[in-house]
Amino acid sequence: MTSTPQSALTPLASGKIPEAIDPIYRQIRDLVYKVSGIYKAEEKLYLLSDGCARRMKQLGLRTTREYWDQLTAQPGRDGELRHLLNEITIGETCLFRSQPQLDALRKVILPEIVKEKTKQITKRLRIWSAGCSTGEEPYTLAMNMLEESDRLLQGWTVEILATDLNDRSVETAKAGIYVDYALRSTTDYFKRKYFTMVDEKKLLVRPEVKKLITFSRLNLQDDSKMLFMKGMDLIFCCNVLIYFDGVSKSKVINHFFTNLNFGGYFFLGTSESLMKLNDQFHLVHFPGTIAYWKPSLSSGKL
Amino acid sequence: MTVSLAVNIRERVQQIDTMPAIPAVFLPLLKMLGSSTEEVKVDEVVRLVSYDNTIAAQCLRVASSPLFGLAQLPRSIKAAVISLGLRRVETILLTCCLGQAFPPEKWPLDPEVFWRHSLGCAMVCRKFSEKLISVDGEKAYMAGLLHDLGFMVNCLVFSKEFAAAMELACREEIPLYQAEFATMGFTHCETGQALAEKWKLADDIVEVIAHHHAVELSQNARPLVALVHLSDLLCRMRGLGYGYYERQKVDLISDPAWAVLLKEHRELEGVDLARFTFELDESVAEIHTLVATVFGSAPARS
Repeated sequence: MTSTPQSALTPLASGKIPEAIDPIYRQIRDLVYKVSGIYKAEEKLYLLSDGCARRMKQLGLRTTREYWDQLTAQPGRDGELRHLLNEITIGETCLFRSQPQLDALRKVILPEIVKEKTKQITKRLRIWSAGCSTGEEPYTLAMNMLEESDRLLQGWTVEILATDLNDRSVETAKAGIYVDYALRSTTDYFKRKYFTMVDEKKLLVRPEVKKLITFSRLNLQDDSKMLFMKGMDLIFCCNVLIYFDGVSKSKVINHFFTNLNFGGYFFLGTSESLMKLNDQFHLVHFPGTIAYWKPSLSSGKL
Repeated sequence: MTVSLAVNIRERVQQIDTMPAIPAVFLPLLKMLGSSTEEVKVDEVVRLVSYDNTIAAQCLRVASSPLFGLAQLPRSIKAAVISLGLRRVETILLTCCLGQAFPPEKWPLDPEVFWRHSLGCAMVCRKFSEKLISVDGEKAYMAGLLHDLGFMVNCLVFSKEFAAAMELACREEIPLYQAEFATMGFTHCETGQALAEKWKLADDIVEVIAHHHAVELSQNARPLVALVHLSDLLCRMRGLGYGYYERQKVDLISDPAWAVLLKEHRELEGVDLARFTFELDESVAEIHTLVATVFGSAPARS
């Protein structure tokens, strides 16, 4: 039987017995989930414990219990949580970060959207990378859309809007130069097709990829600006909402919902969720990944 | 399904009993599964488990798995039976027996993939039932374990036809039952039902086997069938499917099975489905290890 790797879930090596986990990490995991919607599954708890260890070292703390106090006792607990969230999401900015997400996009979502929009005169697909950081996500999306340009998306116009709060990130993103580390999940096929070499360790994104993307600075909490982001088919917002408090988070999510077209999808980071902050979106599963769907008018599921 | 097709399936299923591979404890075990828990004696179960060395060893290995959450590894069969509880031992015994009853040498379906899905679904069924009030978790576990019994029948007695279905499913990336129907005109639901009835499995388990792809057809066990249906879908989306990419979107909350379950269990409304999904991922690695140990070529028998 031919088989395709199904998800990003990697099994432990057979027979390997995991070390006992300090129960405080589970407490921290639950706290992190409650505050941010990020959930580190048991086999990924090491990511959380590594992050805690680095923070503890910086703070000069010796026990996990002391660190727990730091995370839960006022003053300064919000600041510390922010530091920890930074630590545990730090490795997630690279191109082709989540293959299951890209598979879902190309194999299931695009055919669905294309079918849904066949009757429209203008064949236009609008994607928004909200909180695009230094550009890894929008470029990944652009390359994948270009791959479909002579298949599913033949005759379609693709517009990718990439925004970030940080001016410096936006500038770096526009430049489109990446080093090995950011390219660790990019296959040779994509490297050859969509990059030119700057030097041995750096690659530059080709102009035809850049052409698809408009970069700009945007504060997701700026209500007046958010009102002008309408007509999106896909919104990606990876590890950005985790830093918002409950009220702001709900507000931003509502904006995303309004800005999406019916039948559109909203993606978060790999282990991130909306918890139960919004009951209009439908949580939907694809092999190895989840997304939030704004039901189409024809689905009768609104 | 035509009458002649149904007769044909039943006739072919009759062959299964005459096959030499069925362990001697299997039929007494089925009888025991049919009786109520109070009537089953510990010594009787211990006797059954000890009857066959290979099965006893397999049982101990399964019982030692973290899936069953024992603080200490059982040192004897009796200790295992007592600490695990009768219902669990029954399901473990059943898993091991089925593994022997259906020699996997010529299966069109990778037996490890099959067991990962069956045990995975059993585990999800149990975890799901923990979220609901007064659902028998071990019953749900057994239902999950047996729901795809029909695939074993198909591997054994409809091997050639099923291989074609498998090939179609992998090529088109469609659900296996759809591919079965397209190539054979029937699915594992009918063949599984024929065997389950012949073995006189409990009525609700027969309904699960027969209707887990069409919950509305279940007459007397609809909530259990719905629970297995949803768990099956979740497994297939979280790396415990049939080893190939299934091109589909799963919207659990819009699934009619969700409504069936919700009617009986209002508490389902409070379940954070995203978190539940992430929690399930924690057990995926365990399932891989367990199946490799029990059914795979890996580690020597104790």
